[in-house]
Amino acid sequence: MASLELKGVRKSFGSTLILEDVSLTLDAREFVAFLGPSGSGKSTLLRIIAGLETADAGEVWLESFRIDPLPPGERGVAMVFQHYALYPHMSVRENMAFGLRNARVPKDEIERRIADAARVLEIEPLLDRKPGEMSGGQRQRVAIGRALVKEPKLFLLDEPLSNLDAALRLRTRVELAQLKQRVDAAVIMVTHDQAEAMTLADRIVVINDRTIQQVGPPMEIYNRPANVFVAQFVGSPAMTLVPAQLAENGDYATLKIGDGTVVETRVPRDRLPPSAHFRLGLRPEAVRVVGSGEATSKAKVELVERLGERTLVYARLGDGQPITAEDQRDSRLKIGDEIALRIDGAAAHVFDADGAGYHRTGA
Amino acid sequence: MAADFRRGRLTPLGWAALVIGAALMLAPLTWAVLLSLKDNAALVGHSEAALHGPYTLDNYVAIFGNSLTTRWLLNSTIVALGQTAGVLILASLAGYGFARLDFPFRRTLFVIVLIGLAVPSQAVILPQHELFAWLHLHNSYPGLILPGLIAPFGVFFMTTYMRGIPRELDEAAMLDGASRWTTFWKVILPLTVPAQSTLAVFTFLGAWNDYWWPLISATRSDMYTLTVGLAAAQMNYAQTSGLGYLMAQAVFASIPIFIVYIIFQKQIVRAMAGTAV
Repeated sequence: MASLELKGVRKSFGSTLILEDVSLTLDAREFVAFLGPSGSGKSTLLRIIAGLETADAGEVWLESFRIDPLPPGERGVAMVFQHYALYPHMSVRENMAFGLRNARVPKDEIERRIADAARVLEIEPLLDRKPGEMSGGQRQRVAIGRALVKEPKLFLLDEPLSNLDAALRLRTRVELAQLKQRVDAAVIMVTHDQAEAMTLADRIVVINDRTIQQVGPPMEIYNRPANVFVAQFVGSPAMTLVPAQLAENGDYATLKIGDGTVVETRVPRDRLPPSAHFRLGLRPEAVRVVGSGEATSKAKVELVERLGERTLVYARLGDGQPITAEDQRDSRLKIGDEIALRIDGAAAHVFDADGAGYHRTGA
Repeated sequence: MAADFRRGRLTPLGWAALVIGAALMLAPLTWAVLLSLKDNAALVGHSEAALHGPYTLDNYVAIFGNSLTTRWLLNSTIVALGQTAGVLILASLAGYGFARLDFPFRRTLFVIVLIGLAVPSQAVILPQHELFAWLHLHNSYPGLILPGLIAPFGVFFMTTYMRGIPRELDEAAMLDGASRWTTFWKVILPLTVPAQSTLAVFTFLGAWNDYWWPLISATRSDMYTLTVGLAAAQMNYAQTSGLGYLMAQAVFASIPIFIVYIIFQKQIVRAMAGTAV
């Protein structure tokens, strides 16, 4: 059964259109990440689901009930805010009990739920403290606890990790993944951090420029980006896009790039629109630094990034086209070196003039 | 020693300036207290007699010799507390409205409130007097309290303070199923306690020290406030004699203010430093 359903949601602030005809269906107990850059409309969409913003048009359904006419407190959703939004003058226990008291939950039931959530989140020693007496990580747990005790049908997490330092973010990410297994509800997390989205979500909804760009499991988003925006936004470093021309006839598209290199992709040619001009999409792992015998292209090194498990090489092809390649972890390359590259056509993507993506079959 | 000064972030010169400043401030107060403890006759032509004994409490006894003094004290307390409570309630509600609610002409109304800050009370005293006479409110507690409830500064102060409280808290309360009133009462209002205490202190001090409106509105001696009552009881308009009694009145009228200051010292200092908002 569908947990959440958005039908044709539209929102503008004044004359600025923020969301345009957004439709989406979430499965029960699904963890979905809204991923997009700042200003893409992902937080607005979350706030419309929560009831903190009113959509200009469209409907929001949760477990077969239309909830968009309801006030936020009656929608059966709980939200963890980016800055936690804990009530500063209340203890942790009071923070967690506040919503339940408003819902007239019996006192012993409130106590039971708080005790359960505190045990799961390991915040039992903090119950009588106030938010100002806790660290950022502890506040984050309390904010999650406050959502948990409401036993909602849908959890909404608004950039939940963005205020934590790097180490704590990793730890909390693991805890969120564990929490996901425990709760009997769907979860929507808004984030601009693709690593969070890739590691936590069952499906990612990439949002940009007022609309949903692509919906799919993390690896599908990575391997088969629907368009240029998704291709460049997901993956670090961003996919290199090289202007290319369709070179030869055949079952698969063969493209020639500016320095003369011919790349035989595994993208079926008959799927491409009738045009000669495309862009070749290359992730760093599709462009390897090799010995001159295996090379398909030559380039000049502009920057070397040693990341430990691999080395990224930012270089320019003969025609001045920037390209990002991968080298062995113990690479000895330095700026200014002339290098030989091998472009793996089987891992290459093709984008048409409108930005739509085409990929190898079966990947 | 130098380290101590560094900890206090004050140079020896700074300390010296502070000590001199404090002495200058305390000198007239001490002088007033000493004068109040002297026999009036001893001070005629020789006010320096206050520097040595004998001292007496006769002047304070004389204040209570007037049977209405306790009544004036009560009146002042009722008026000051009434105005303080009223201003806190109205300014908090109006502040929340201006800070959080979206209603027609909100900006225009707020501008009107701000204009109220620039209108001196003297400018409206005549119509105010006429209005209260027409309403038969002179010589009554409502008559003394109501004009003080027009507090544009309080509304401005609370609006500014509430605007500084993150909206996420209101939104969290909405998601927690709280009504608008519950959000105001249980979430926002408790967070304004620092601003409320600052506003309370200023309003109380202003109401306690107010002389002009009670002088106009209270024409019956049993409705005088302490300031008006003590002034009326002097019968010594030239202030050439009875200096001890005069100072005893001043000291006596200042005692409640002094107590308020001791209790709310932190809030007053913070408000003076401009950090309460």
